[in-house]
Amino acid sequence: MEKSVVYKRKTKLDKKMDKLRVLEESGALKNQKKVNRYLRKFKNNKLAVAGVIVFIIILILCFAAPLFTKYDPGAIDVLNRLQEPSKSHILGTDKLGRDVFTRILYGGRVSIVVGLGSALGAAAIGVSLGCYAGYKGGFLDNVIMRISELMMSFPRIILVLLLVTIVGQSLNNLLIIFICTGWASMYRMARAQMLSLREEEYVQALKAFGINDFVIAFKHMLPNALGPIAVNITLSTAMFILQETSLSYLGLGVPLDISTWGNILNAAQDLRILRECYWMWLPVGIIISLFVLSVNFIGDGLRDSTDPTQQG
Amino acid sequence: MKNDVVLSVKNLKTFFYTNQRCNKAVNGVSFDIKRGKTLCIVGESGCGKSVTATSIMRLLPKLSRIEEGEIVYHSSKGDIRLDTLKKNGKEMRQIRGSEIAMIFQDPMTSLNPVYTVGFQVIENLKNHRKMSKKAAKSEAIRLLKDMGIPLPEQRVDEYPHQYSGGMRQRAMIAMAMSCNPKVLIADEPTTALDVTIQAQIFELMDKLKKENDTAVMMITHDMGVVAEMADDVAVMYMGNVVETGSVDQVLRKPSHPYTRALLESIPVLGRGKNQVIEPIRGVTPDPFDRPEGCQFGPRCDYYCDKCKTMPDEITIDGHMVRCWNYKEVLKDA
Amino acid sequence: MLTYILRRILYLIPMLLVITFLVYLGLELMPGDAIDFMASPDTIAMMSPEDLDNLRETLGLNDPFLVRYFKWLGQIFQGNFGYSLSTGVAIKDIVFDRLPATLELAAIALVFSSLIGSILGVISALKRGSIADNVLSIAGMIGVSIPQFFFGLIAILLFALQLKWFPHGGRTLPGYETFLDRLPHLILPSLVMSMTMTAGVMRYARTSMLDSMNKDFIKTARSKGIPEWRVNLVHGLRVALTPVVVLIGFRLPMLIGGAVVIEQIFQWPGIGSEFVGAVRSQNVPLVMMISLLSVTAVLLASVIVDIVTALLDPRVKLD
Repeated sequence: MEKSVVYKRKTKLDKKMDKLRVLEESGALKNQKKVNRYLRKFKNNKLAVAGVIVFIIILILCFAAPLFTKYDPGAIDVLNRLQEPSKSHILGTDKLGRDVFTRILYGGRVSIVVGLGSALGAAAIGVSLGCYAGYKGGFLDNVIMRISELMMSFPRIILVLLLVTIVGQSLNNLLIIFICTGWASMYRMARAQMLSLREEEYVQALKAFGINDFVIAFKHMLPNALGPIAVNITLSTAMFILQETSLSYLGLGVPLDISTWGNILNAAQDLRILRECYWMWLPVGIIISLFVLSVNFIGDGLRDSTDPTQQG
Repeated sequence: MKNDVVLSVKNLKTFFYTNQRCNKAVNGVSFDIKRGKTLCIVGESGCGKSVTATSIMRLLPKLSRIEEGEIVYHSSKGDIRLDTLKKNGKEMRQIRGSEIAMIFQDPMTSLNPVYTVGFQVIENLKNHRKMSKKAAKSEAIRLLKDMGIPLPEQRVDEYPHQYSGGMRQRAMIAMAMSCNPKVLIADEPTTALDVTIQAQIFELMDKLKKENDTAVMMITHDMGVVAEMADDVAVMYMGNVVETGSVDQVLRKPSHPYTRALLESIPVLGRGKNQVIEPIRGVTPDPFDRPEGCQFGPRCDYYCDKCKTMPDEITIDGHMVRCWNYKEVLKDA
Repeated sequence: MLTYILRRILYLIPMLLVITFLVYLGLELMPGDAIDFMASPDTIAMMSPEDLDNLRETLGLNDPFLVRYFKWLGQIFQGNFGYSLSTGVAIKDIVFDRLPATLELAAIALVFSSLIGSILGVISALKRGSIADNVLSIAGMIGVSIPQFFFGLIAILLFALQLKWFPHGGRTLPGYETFLDRLPHLILPSLVMSMTMTAGVMRYARTSMLDSMNKDFIKTARSKGIPEWRVNLVHGLRVALTPVVVLIGFRLPMLIGGAVVIEQIFQWPGIGSEFVGAVRSQNVPLVMMISLLSVTAVLLASVIVDIVTALLDPRVKLD
């Protein structure tokens, strides 16, 4: 007795599956090109592609700035201060009459260089240490591990400001401080990769051949860990740019005479400017957010495409 | 006889739709599971045996569905078409766990690590029966004891990681048998265990089957397990059942080339080092690029033109085979 | 369990020693006379040169470096954190005066971001691929990309200055001291402060939940015929929680660091804004002390997180 026959409702998913079945049975799906897996996965990730496009646009705007604006970022024109956006100044002028759009473009150069430079520097130190110490283990690894734990217990911004108090404010100092405070997380990540790669058989084989530890760690194991490292560098860049912005907003980052995105925002500390002169801080903030967002999309896309467990 | 068959599967087809492709994992499978008997479903990895089990239990993942066929559960209240029930509806959930139960391959990952074993056994009990906390706990202890777990009063409050591999599988069996199911589906229950433990688990399952009259469907890739445990056998290849019958019929008089090839490729203890072991020639075809007609064709010694169409099910005396040339296979044995 | 807690706390001691040592090193390297920050300027002003020398002896300022360090450490334990270079007020008083304000913000931000982030992340995972999931995922991405203070500025402009729903700064108004009075002041800063953390927790909770629901024991749970909501909550969520708790512990420094900038924007009288002021005026003793306190706070909080993790996951070895 058929007591419980439930009529099969054709849901949306069902219809999609029906279509696929017909396609498959007609043989239409058999000949798909085998493009490079990584590229294909990345391309399919629309957000990552959008991220790359936005990233390149902002990069071009900033580094080819003279093509887009005729003003000098430091040109003071007190007569025209605090002007609203107009045809001659697309984003208006600031307290000293400087063209805001120009300052954003030129400031972007510094902010991006600081972000990327710090990420690469921190990676250089962190990955080298993590690679070698993670592979060797032992006393060296233990010591560096404790140091990194220590550094990571400090709230990042407090540690940075502490160092700024001691060594003083300057662009170079800031870069160095960022690198010194940023290597710890890179180190941890590289070390984790090494710990899992250490058990692979080819490592045992290389050791049996008597090959030098340095060579094993850097020439043979490191290339296998490049995926997560690249992802980390991308995401670190985003984080460093945000850090620089916060510090410069407080006036404690890059010295105020050099224009950076954060320094431009510094003016918004004044409530009056906040309320009445939106062009001085809103566009910069949006550009920063867009840039960091695009970098995050790229980083996520990289992570998804280099992760072997994710389906293509 | 109707009283004997507890679960009938008729022409089951289950397709997977992952990666934007259609994979016909199970493509026309039929068998019966009889009360108090063990049916062994045997085949290579990827032939669709686990999918069959998940289809019966309606535990298929999201991107897959039962395309065609019938799964009929002959319950005490009448015949129920499992394939038409709502996947997580009240009726199916009532059947799952109390009338048809399943145990899985790896007991370490199949048990939730953050809850005690007792909790997980009691969960099944309380889901299907009204029981007080105390009664459920003592029932859980009794079940663990019956499954051969020492010191059950202590073990019931311990976590899976505190158990050994064999004990975990016993606990899983305890959980599955807790509501006295009519059908027990075991998906390669000993593949993750040592051979000595394997023997113990099979002994246990045999005992349960005899004491409770449970119908057992055992999935395995190991012919040795089949010889040991089965009353009936179903041999699967690339989503089809190619031969079924009693264990005597299939193992002593294999009528399908694949079954014969399987049996010939297994070394037998005691035959000595000069015994002939013939691996099956060729490779398992890509599921997305299947041969026309009989799936075993390219690897078969008896291939002929007729094999370009899928062979019908030919049944003689309860022994079913899907091969046009079975008579030759039997003659050559 | 008790031994686990004790062990974790004991583990902190060498770390704290190293940190205090480094802090003291920083103080030593600072130009000027150490007595200026170790004793109250008022007291010094009234002392004669001999009394000053005696004071130096007591404070150990003439002893070798290591002895000085330990005596300084002793002073810390007695509650003498030194004196602010710019105002001459005892640092201990500054800290205790301003601590409640920051704790208020941090506590609310922590609770809010953990709860809301986890809930949204789990919902996102359970409804994977739906519109809600996509919207939340993009919102999460935006949340970690916008500079926290920029979000604060927009919030102030929109909610405080334009819509006038909330005050734009400060913690209280004179005369209005009860918690209910202060609530409108609390809302904007704590929401802004929790923004990045919420987005981070949400994304991580989503991943963790998806991972958890893919595990074998979920299949076992379903095979018992239990209702789907129970499978999701009792089995899926429960196992997904542990990594999220670990992540929250990991991100605690970030949360506390956020206070520094947020307090500036909202003119919140907490330790964060005090810190910024100290950096601006090169007030090294104050900078050092606040840094020390923040690290101690983070380390203590991480012990608590470890305890919660051990409670959640029986596989964590408790001995």
